[in-house]
Amino acid sequence: MILARLALRNLLRQRRRTALTLMVVVAGFLALSLAGGFMAQTFQGLSDAAIRGGLGHLQVMPPGAMEGDEAQSLEKALPDGEALAARLRQDPAVAEVLPRIQFMGLLSSGPRSVAFLGTAVDPVLEPRHMASAEALKGGAKAPGGAGSRWISADPAAREVILGVGLARALGATVGSSLTLMSTTRDGALNAVDVDVAGLQDLGLRELNDRLLTISLATADQLLDAAQARSRLSVVLKRPQDTAAEQARLQALLPEVSVKPWFELASFYRQVKLLYFAIFGFMGLVLFLVVLLATANTLLMSVMERVREFGVLRAMGLQPGQLLVLLQWEGAFLGLMGSALGLAATLLLRAGLNALHLQMPAPPGTSHGYELNIHLVPAVYALVALGLQATIQVSALFPGLKAARLRIVEALRHV
Amino acid sequence: MLELRAITRAYELGGERAGVFGVSLEVPKGCLAVMAGPSGSGKTTLLQLAGLLDAPDEGEVLLDGEAVSALPEKARCDLRLKRLGFVFQAFNLVPVLSALENVMLPLQLQRVPDGEARRRAEAALERVGLADRRHHRPGQLSGGQQQRAAIARALAPEPLLVLADEPTASLDHAHGGPLMDLMAELAAERGATFLVASHDPAVIARAHRVFRLMDGRLVEAS
Repeated sequence: MILARLALRNLLRQRRRTALTLMVVVAGFLALSLAGGFMAQTFQGLSDAAIRGGLGHLQVMPPGAMEGDEAQSLEKALPDGEALAARLRQDPAVAEVLPRIQFMGLLSSGPRSVAFLGTAVDPVLEPRHMASAEALKGGAKAPGGAGSRWISADPAAREVILGVGLARALGATVGSSLTLMSTTRDGALNAVDVDVAGLQDLGLRELNDRLLTISLATADQLLDAAQARSRLSVVLKRPQDTAAEQARLQALLPEVSVKPWFELASFYRQVKLLYFAIFGFMGLVLFLVVLLATANTLLMSVMERVREFGVLRAMGLQPGQLLVLLQWEGAFLGLMGSALGLAATLLLRAGLNALHLQMPAPPGTSHGYELNIHLVPAVYALVALGLQATIQVSALFPGLKAARLRIVEALRHV
Repeated sequence: MLELRAITRAYELGGERAGVFGVSLEVPKGCLAVMAGPSGSGKTTLLQLAGLLDAPDEGEVLLDGEAVSALPEKARCDLRLKRLGFVFQAFNLVPVLSALENVMLPLQLQRVPDGEARRRAEAALERVGLADRRHHRPGQLSGGQQQRAAIARALAPEPLLVLADEPTASLDHAHGGPLMDLMAELAAERGATFLVASHDPAVIARAHRVFRLMDGRLVEAS
């Protein structure tokens, strides 16, 4: 431990230089860990949006449903979807199963008709598990959206919820009567009259312009769906077990395809990849800065202590032990830097979150959101480990330089 | 105890060939031997060769009859750690350690337990009259005190051979004489062997043996 003591004493002796290097390490830690917290917030938001936007934790669908355009029709559906849903509800890991029908057609208001993408849901189960009500809040603020409410649970009610863009295109408001047209399971053209129960703002302009929601009972009348369902959204009791439950249920139900939400949420995956690329590059630059700053500090330290190293070698210190000495100095720089960086991160995170800053709407979406940098211990540990490894690497060159000093020359060094 | 056999170590200095050439000498156990000679006569080079800090081009160094100069670096490090002590002209104490910690350093490098290292270091400091300054750092000690701390550091591990390079050169006459008296006493007390490079008459006067060097060659042994 004498080498560790020597290393620590030397760092404390060169306080100004050590402080400057520590500032670089702290800045690196701060930037990376705050970015990690911001990424965690973004990923959490996106995953919540995907899961509560209708995907659930798992989706049960017919095999091949993801191929081609057929996903929007009942041609490729689960023919006994309701029975399968009832069976899945008995599974101890499943909290709820939400059957859905996806379809498309034309929506008419007098002379105007607009193509739509429709989703039929269970009007009772859906608001309990999905973010339907939140979308209605935004819709209520849109022109013609006042009085927006969720569709009635009465099977006799014929109601629809429109995306705000779709309503605008048709000039429809809450209470308007419209005609839904689509093809039945057998391919026949069919139509039903519906009343607009509410408008929904889904956050994405493209979705608002096309999407509508009706009840399964209304869809059954329009599409002659009977027991057929396009997909079943499965809500798990333990979301963290999604991957394991997917494998288990897939083995249990080989006749259907069971997919986890993260395989289906393409926007989530794309954003995740983009963030990893951006912050990965930023991290690389920061690690490089830390590497150079620490190497410079330790190299300067070696140059100033040539004679001291000569004496230590004369006393019998092995060349490798000088390498260890420099590694200890790097270790202390890393530990102190990470400890200070962690403290700075926690303080700054608390300060920034307390400001309730509103972030601008991400590209393609219509809502901003409040900055809430997450506390992610795993990221802090990863950043600390990365910085520590970087510093240990940066200590190698000065250490090798010290180890290669010739004793007689080192003792003559002025 | 220490024997140098036909040692040659040559190097270029200012375009001229310098070093030591064909030097043979013997220092018995418990002896305070001095290598005397003017600057550039090869005293320091010979001391470094004897201390295994450098390797001779020709000849060999024997410690207790064992040829050691051609040993691998690791074995020479071990020998320096366990059997040799060094006192340098510029003291060369580690500036971030106190006098006590400096003296404990070679013991700790030998993996002597902390408690015992402290006890032995305190005894060595007391012997050189620095017990009351043991917690001072080198920057807080006078030149004479630093050199005494350096001697304590060299002696605390109880080496067989202490090599001192111009130990009084940085000290005034009032401090140099007593320091040499101390080294002579320690040589007598502990049976430690001292090989000192110096051209200081006060040092030479206290030596049991004197080797005079001139232009890298041994010209007189008395």
